Amino acid sequence: MAGRKDNCRASLWLAALILLLAALALSLLAAVTIGSTDIPISDVYHVIFYKLFGAGDPVWGEGNLFRAVWFLRLPRLILAAGIGVSLSVCGVVMQAVVKNPLADPYVLGISSGASLGATLAIMVGVGTVFGANSIGIMAFLGAFGVSLLVVGLANVGSRANSVKLLLAGMAVSSVCGAFSNFIVYTAHDREGMQTVTYWMMGSLAGATWEGDAAVLLVALLGAGFFWTQHRNLNLMLLGDESAITLGTDLHRWRQLYLLVSAAMVGFAVYSAGMIGFVGLVVPHAVRMLFGTDHKKLIPLCALSGAVFLVWADVACRVIIPGTELPIGILTSMIGAPCFIYLMARKKYGFGGGG
Amino acid sequence: MKIETKALEALLSGSHILKGIDLDIGDRELVGVIGPNGSGKSTLLKCIYRVLKPAKGAVYLDSKPLDSYSYRDSARRVAVVAQHNYYNFDFAVKDVVLMGRSPHKRALDRDTAEDWQIVAESLETVGMTAFADRSFSTLSGGEQQRVILARALAQRTPCLILDEPTNHLDIKYQLQLMDLVRGLDRTVIAAVHDLNIAAMYCDRLYAVKAGRIVGQGAPKTLLTSEFIREVYEVDAQVMTDGDGCLHILFHPGGRGA
Repeated sequence: MAGRKDNCRASLWLAALILLLAALALSLLAAVTIGSTDIPISDVYHVIFYKLFGAGDPVWGEGNLFRAVWFLRLPRLILAAGIGVSLSVCGVVMQAVVKNPLADPYVLGISSGASLGATLAIMVGVGTVFGANSIGIMAFLGAFGVSLLVVGLANVGSRANSVKLLLAGMAVSSVCGAFSNFIVYTAHDREGMQTVTYWMMGSLAGATWEGDAAVLLVALLGAGFFWTQHRNLNLMLLGDESAITLGTDLHRWRQLYLLVSAAMVGFAVYSAGMIGFVGLVVPHAVRMLFGTDHKKLIPLCALSGAVFLVWADVACRVIIPGTELPIGILTSMIGAPCFIYLMARKKYGFGGGG
Repeated sequence: MKIETKALEALLSGSHILKGIDLDIGDRELVGVIGPNGSGKSTLLKCIYRVLKPAKGAVYLDSKPLDSYSYRDSARRVAVVAQHNYYNFDFAVKDVVLMGRSPHKRALDRDTAEDWQIVAESLETVGMTAFADRSFSTLSGGEQQRVILARALAQRTPCLILDEPTNHLDIKYQLQLMDLVRGLDRTVIAAVHDLNIAAMYCDRLYAVKAGRIVGQGAPKTLLTSEFIREVYEVDAQVMTDGDGCLHILFHPGGRGA
């Protein structure tokens, strides 16, 4: 009896998975027709069909219209989807790693590390050897470096546990934040300040096919990896002692997960700056609907995150005619009220017992 | 499954908690560990279930040192119901019990029908079948305790370690749980607070005080008024009822026996 009910339940979340996959495909197809310049829908698809399958008139493979669709809109959407996957999955993983429902992908100092890297690049010109996207690369290095530092610090004295990680993350965060502010304050560079601020708000406008390939590859590999780790992620929520009695020493896994997450978030930061709230809200929304089991949580979050960010990007482009809103602002604007709504609903206690 | 400890010593943040403990627990024996608060009962159990590394001495499972087992292998042999199971996240009861299957799983293994069958049986055993879909955090302390016991049962281990298993339970469930544990026909080590429960269910008792074993034996031979006064520093009267059951009656402080 229990078996059949569980089968039914299993098919429910699998159905949700397939539905979300379809939603993602449809979202991409729909979103590509929406933009700041008016391009007829049929023209958009003519371009895509021509590029993908070589079908139709070669005239679709050149000109401004072609460039707008193929080099601006599509890479941007793919980037949005890739980053959505990375941020949501890392949000889930970070919440498990530090055993705290308030964690997000940036919790362990990754955001402040990235900001420090970007500030150094913009204000001091560090990393110009990296060429065009030196800001992104410095941000990536900052994010990754800070994660290593946090893991290292948390291991000083005794083995790292979730509380030590959280404290080390906060400490390193404030140090990095202070240094960023110090640089901004002493540089007296109004233009640079603006660039830093703008970068902190996040934007998908810089998307290129090459960058997309990297982000998407890291996002999919990372999400796939974490999906295989669903049992360990579940155990992390029980704590180290219970996990040992259930046959797993979480210590090494925790560090591995942090580094994989840092790489995923680092790539996201590298190509789009800071995009807040996705990694916090999406995991909680999915958890509310489908429970805490990571076997379901990881794939569902990955797809929901992708769909969410694709539409958030569309909204950025159309909400104020003629200009484009930084996506980080928009995700926080949408995300925060959603989060408050979740909090206000009694039914979902964020695990606090309700 | 046999469990032994030899000259086991343990430190907790610098203080010497266990000062040389020798246990010898035979196959399918139900052994109780008794002793006052802070005597080292929990610490001793923690060394046996591997959460704490002994400073000296060692634990042996079937005569092989515990260190020579992988965590996976030891979790297939020893299951634990520990104190304090508070989780920051909300799991369904059946998901908590399913985690008992994890020592039998590799990363890419699926949860099979057999696993769910075992989950259902374990819940049935502890009488929590009706709660399978409830959220763990909404249960009472006693119900949570029974779910954790179900998880330990789902591990299908030859040995079970219980750290004050009857702590949150009312008397009906205390008896029910101990009946259940006795009926399991496995090696069981339980830290027990309540001497009457210990006397009723355990085959043998080890008494721990200040990090040392101060006595061991069958409840009837070990638990005398003198012994209880020596270990717990209280006055008690030990009686045997018509069924041969041991009862320990305590006297309020200041009034002699």
